[in-house]
Order: sequence, then C-alpha cells, then structure tokens
Amino acid sequence: MRSGVWPPLLLGAGLLAAWEIYVRVAHIDPLLLPPPSAVVRYITGNAGILLNNGAATLSELLLGFAIGVVVGLCLGVLMQIWRWFREAAYPWLVATQMIPIPAVAPILVLWFGFTIVPKAATVALISFFPVAVNTVDGLRSVNPELIRLLRTFGAGPWKVMWMAALPGALPRIFSGVRVAMALSVVGAVFGEWVGSTHGLGYLMLRFENRGETAGLFATVAVLAIMGIILFFLVGWTEDWAMSWRRHAKETL
Amino acid sequence: MAEAIAMRVHGIRRTYRDGTRTVMALEGTDMDVPDGKFVTIVGPSACGKSTLLNLFCGLDKPDAGSIETPAFGTDELLGRVGYMPQQDLLMPWRTVTDNAAVGLECLGCDREDARRQAREHMARFGLRGFEFSYPGQLSEGMRQRVALLRTFLCGRRINVLDEPFGKLDAMTRASMQSWLLDYWQENRCTIVFVTHDIDEALFLSDVVHLMSPRPGRIIRSLEVDVARPRKYSEVVTSVHFNELKACLLESLGREL
Repeated sequence: MRSGVWPPLLLGAGLLAAWEIYVRVAHIDPLLLPPPSAVVRYITGNAGILLNNGAATLSELLLGFAIGVVVGLCLGVLMQIWRWFREAAYPWLVATQMIPIPAVAPILVLWFGFTIVPKAATVALISFFPVAVNTVDGLRSVNPELIRLLRTFGAGPWKVMWMAALPGALPRIFSGVRVAMALSVVGAVFGEWVGSTHGLGYLMLRFENRGETAGLFATVAVLAIMGIILFFLVGWTEDWAMSWRRHAKETL
Repeated sequence: MAEAIAMRVHGIRRTYRDGTRTVMALEGTDMDVPDGKFVTIVGPSACGKSTLLNLFCGLDKPDAGSIETPAFGTDELLGRVGYMPQQDLLMPWRTVTDNAAVGLECLGCDREDARRQAREHMARFGLRGFEFSYPGQLSEGMRQRVALLRTFLCGRRINVLDEPFGKLDAMTRASMQSWLLDYWQENRCTIVFVTHDIDEALFLSDVVHLMSPRPGRIIRSLEVDVARPRKYSEVVTSVHFNELKACLLESLGREL
C-alpha cells in the first residue's frame, strides 16, 4: 500500500523552501517569479474568487470526464464484442486524437456559445481515448480458456463479457481512467481559454493580461491541488472496485 | 445385457491448419462411453486428447464422424456436457463460494440460489471455513476442489475432466483421487477423465482407453476389473493392478 502522505509533503515543502530562498537571495522581480509566500498570500486573500472559478472548472471537468469514461467504456466493449466494429472504428478513434484541440474548441464555442457544453465536450474528446484503448486491451487479455469454460456452461458472449472479461479487464481500464483524469484537467482549462466568462482557465488569462503573476501562480496552484485530489479519488475508487486484491495478498 | 451408452463416438476425424501445413489430430477415433461409468483416456502428449475433449463438450465440431448422446435427444453438446479444464481458471475477484457458483449462474440460476447450493457442498469438498476466501489464499489442491465443485454443481450426466490433477504434487494427487472416487460413488454420473498417468487411470476407471500418437485413435481398451470401493494403498500395490499396468505399458511401448 501507499507509504503515507509524508514523503510527498516533505519533498514539496523542501522545493518550496528552495524557491522562496532563491527568489529572496537573488532579488528576483516578483513579476517574473513571485515567491511561494506571495502566492499563498494571494490564495488566502482571494479565496472566494478562486473557489468560485474553481467550482466552475470542476463541474465542466467532471461532466466531460464522466461522458468520456462512459463513451470510452462502451466503445471498448463494443469493439470487443463485434470484431468488424473494432476494425472499422479503430482508425477513426485514433484520428480523433490527431485533431488539434485548439482547432476544434472555437467551433464548439461557435455551436454552443459560452456555456458549459464546449468545455465538457473538449474534456470528453480527449478523455475517452485512453479509456477506450485500455478497455480493448484489457478485454483482449482475458484467458481464452476461461471463455471456453463459460461457454460449456452455456454462457453467451454478453454473459462472458459481464462475468469474466470486464472484471478481468478492470486493472487496465483503471489505468486508462487515471490517464483520462489527468488529461481532463488540461482539457477543461483549454476549453476555457477559447471562450469563457469564468473558470480557472479564464482567471489565468486575465491575470496574465494584467501582469498579476502571483495571481496566475495562485490559480495554477489551485488547479494542481484539484487535479491531485481527483487523481487520488480515482485511485481510491480503483482500490474499492478491486478490493479482492487486498485479500489475495494475505496468503496463508 | 447390453449396457446403456452415454456417448457413442464413431469415426471421428479432425484436422487443423498450422501455418501452411495441415495437422491431422484425430483419425478414425471410435469409442463408447457407457452410462454411469468412469472412463479414462490415456495417451502420449500431443496425441489429440484435448482435441477429442473439445469435441466431447461441444466447443468444436469434427470434420467427419459423429458423437451420439442418446440421453440428450440432441447432438448439440455445448452447454450440456460438464467440463473441467486443466487449469483451475478460478476468477481472482470472486470468493470461493462465488467461483463455485459460476456454472449455475451461467445456466440461468438465480445468484443467491446458486450461492446457497455452493455453500451446501462446501464441507463435502473440504472447503468449509473458506467460503469467503479468495482463490489467491488457497493451496493448489483446494483450488482444484473449487473447480471440481463448480463443474459438479451443474449436475451434468456426463462430465469431462481434462488432467484435473496434473499439476498437483504426488501426495495431494493420491488423496484427491480417493476423494474423487468417493464422491463419484455417492453421486453417480458418467465421467470421461483424461490423464497421462497410467497409475491414476487404472486406479480410477472402469475402462481405460489408450490413444496412439498423432493422429490419435483408440488402440486399446482395457476393462479394469477391480472391485469398488477401491482403497488407494491396496489397489496400487496389488498384483492384478500391476498386471494391468504391464498390459498398458506394453501396448504403449509398441506404439512409441
């Protein structure tokens, strides 16, 4: 299991201390690189704004992520059940990832306006792919002997999928979901840069234009903390969904 | 009096392609499996035993020949013949109970009902106290017993067991063989058992069928006229057992 929260916290504290000392000793212009203390001061002083905009980004992100995971899972399962579908769809799925997001995002804004939809769509567009690919790989790695055994019990393809393939593929699927979560954070900010009136991505642009470097860093910090929490939530869900792995380790 | 036949295998041929060449796995395979008997197929490795078993449980179809099962009233064997593969194939995410219940669940049994039936048999299969354990926590022998329970719970008239004790150590293997015989004596069904261990075949079976190297066919069928119930220590050390063993080894030697 995890060795605890202390090692990453200590490492983080060390790096921040080094940063703070460097800025002070070398007299760096705070407009170029504000010291961590200034960033923290900014966060505590503007907690309301950061939280409000953080909430906006979080809802876009979660909506897009949920759609991405569900779509990715369904595509993966269908590609496994229908061979022809896998062959037909796979190259097109890869193609969706070749489209530069900055090229599509403005069109989405054009279609759906300054609403949550273009942001969620951007997030979904980049997060479904790792889930779909890992689902397909996970499903294909199921022991063919197990499938044959279930067939002698009279199980059809959907039953085999539900009883053997999906549970067996869970570790791979969750690898995909974790990557999807990391990409979702970037995706949400990207969606906001193209056109929005609130959200952390919007805040970043505003701070940048006004030369408020401390504010920019504060926004990035909030985004990073949000991303880390979400990432670990996925990890906890994974441990919960595969609780049998804990038992399997206590060998007799 | 003629015995009732559970499975009549006649003139089976099965070939498959291996790259560019055609491999003949079975050619002219004939055998009868009498109803309610314990029948064993012994043969050298790669003699087509597994191919034959796949045909028996309906996972594969022969190129020529037929497998008749008068009791089923149909020739569709998939989903009707019980099968236990070499590997235990337990699902690591299911408890012992849930693994044992898999077969029943596939057959459309309600999940709770399947679990209840599985739990009722735990003691008989030496698994009491392990109902909620996961396969990763079990020894090889216990895993194999869960797999046997999974197969037998389905209550098939014909059960095909593919080297179920092949990976066990000698001691566990002997005790599992005795256990299987006891269980079979209480719950008569037809068993087709595959092994490459001649002692195992003789100790367990009513009839031993010897297979030739590829293309596999039955070259010798030997009735094992040893009274039941059989006791391992007595049977395998008896003079008659060794005569039968010599018979089989001789036939096998001629072929190799």
